[in-house]
Amino acid sequence: MSTDRHPIEQEEVMAYLDGELPPGRASEALSHLELCPECQTLVADLRGVSQELMAWEVESPEVRILSEIDVALVQRLKERGAPKVSPSRLKSRVMTSRWLWAGALAVLCVAVGLTLTLTRRNRNDERSTAYPSMASIEQYLISDRNAEIALARSAAPESISSDAKILVLGWRGYETAREGRNGFVCVVERSWMSPYSSAEFWNPKVRVPACFNPAAARSILPVTFKRTEMVLAGLSKAQMIDRMKAAIDSKELPPPEPGAMCYMMSRASHLNDSLGHYVPHLMFYFPLTDKAAWGADLPDSPVTLNPQFRDGPEPITEFVIPVAKWSDGTAAPAM
Amino acid sequence: MISDEALMLEFQAGSRAAFEELFARYHKLLHSFFGRRLNNPERAEDLAQETFLAVIRAASRYEPRALVRTYLYGIALKLLAAERRKGVTSSTFGQLAPEPKIDRSPESVLWIRQAMEKLDAPEREILMLREYEQLSYSDISELLRIPVNTVRSRLFRSRLALKSYLESRATGDPDRRMSGGQPHTRRRGMP
Repeated sequence: MSTDRHPIEQEEVMAYLDGELPPGRASEALSHLELCPECQTLVADLRGVSQELMAWEVESPEVRILSEIDVALVQRLKERGAPKVSPSRLKSRVMTSRWLWAGALAVLCVAVGLTLTLTRRNRNDERSTAYPSMASIEQYLISDRNAEIALARSAAPESISSDAKILVLGWRGYETAREGRNGFVCVVERSWMSPYSSAEFWNPKVRVPACFNPAAARSILPVTFKRTEMVLAGLSKAQMIDRMKAAIDSKELPPPEPGAMCYMMSRASHLNDSLGHYVPHLMFYFPLTDKAAWGADLPDSPVTLNPQFRDGPEPITEFVIPVAKWSDGTAAPAM
Repeated sequence: MISDEALMLEFQAGSRAAFEELFARYHKLLHSFFGRRLNNPERAEDLAQETFLAVIRAASRYEPRALVRTYLYGIALKLLAAERRKGVTSSTFGQLAPEPKIDRSPESVLWIRQAMEKLDAPEREILMLREYEQLSYSDISELLRIPVNTVRSRLFRSRLALKSYLESRATGDPDRRMSGGQPHTRRRGMP
């Protein structure tokens, strides 16, 4: 092999896709990949194999703790003595997790074992048959740069987006396509901004234009950049979650700033295959907040809790409020 | 979201809820782990449950040096090895089934399994731990007690071999010999 032509080995290309190269070497790999059709073919081949392998799913039985385990568990906890977890903390966690609700019931069923049944929604989330793994990077990119700029701008009324900074997605991540003057930043987000457990986490058709106000551009958009960077580095979801946790713990990612919000009013968006372009709406971001504080999800309340970060380590609560018009001023369908 | 390791420590300290959360997170993954390696769904489920039983019994000895995920798959690999030593289980790879069942898997899955069978056992295990369990190279290295570079080179070889076999579907030649990476692993730029 000519090291002039290929400064990275084939195994390193694979390691790059697996998120296993050190940062410096990964950066060299990415630079080379952008220019080398031969390596891009190798990338496509390796991704193709991974994608094919995902077809082999194992049908999962009903989730249940067998009585044998239950007995051992009771025995173990008896030997261990009373739980050291504070009751208030435990109570809080039980209140916030349907799994732990089921867990509380399990205590009542010691002798006979227990059947824990996943909710239909969880089951649907786990059936990621349509998009089991990442597609080739090209499928997530928009080849027409001007089209991506226009799509990003369509997230907000022209009075806002025309002066906004516009970012477009490239091989290295988001890059500036137009400088802005009003502090807003408009981007087209991709499928990996869905919940990690979403069946459409790797759906290459997803296009979500969003215009972030200055507070959100500083404190929420970095989450988009971080997830995107990890995806392009070929990390698995488990690795992404681990690194996201580390980034939050180290304060690399800031908490949501007061007043952080974004516009999502594009009629050209494709949120996912089931929602399509959904309805025009605004999103408001907070550090973890009880949805009752906003009356979210209550009957006739226009406010809903967005599940975007429900299963991720990002400590962000996100409320959604639909609005009546698309960004071009035309009337939107009623919710 | 509370980490697996924090849950494990809470369980160690006596929290049943922590155990149940870990069970909820890993039961399906462990069932799939055994399901792909043993051609016996009932036994796969038994072993997934036995993994948790082992966790309960060894809870006092758990130290948060390794990720819980790696710890669980370490137990699972030991149970799998013991199962194979018994030699009575219908195994997808390398063991005879006493009473072969009618396989109703989709064709694509059958091809994958056939392709997997053609890999050397150590390469197959590395490939599966990476692709299905999504373990890092160093986790695999630790679990299989081989150097990280060996993990990487075997993984590369097995992926290319698998690609070659899966491509042979297009030619309709399922007996096409797997290349073992031979035509592919030559360095680029070389004739």
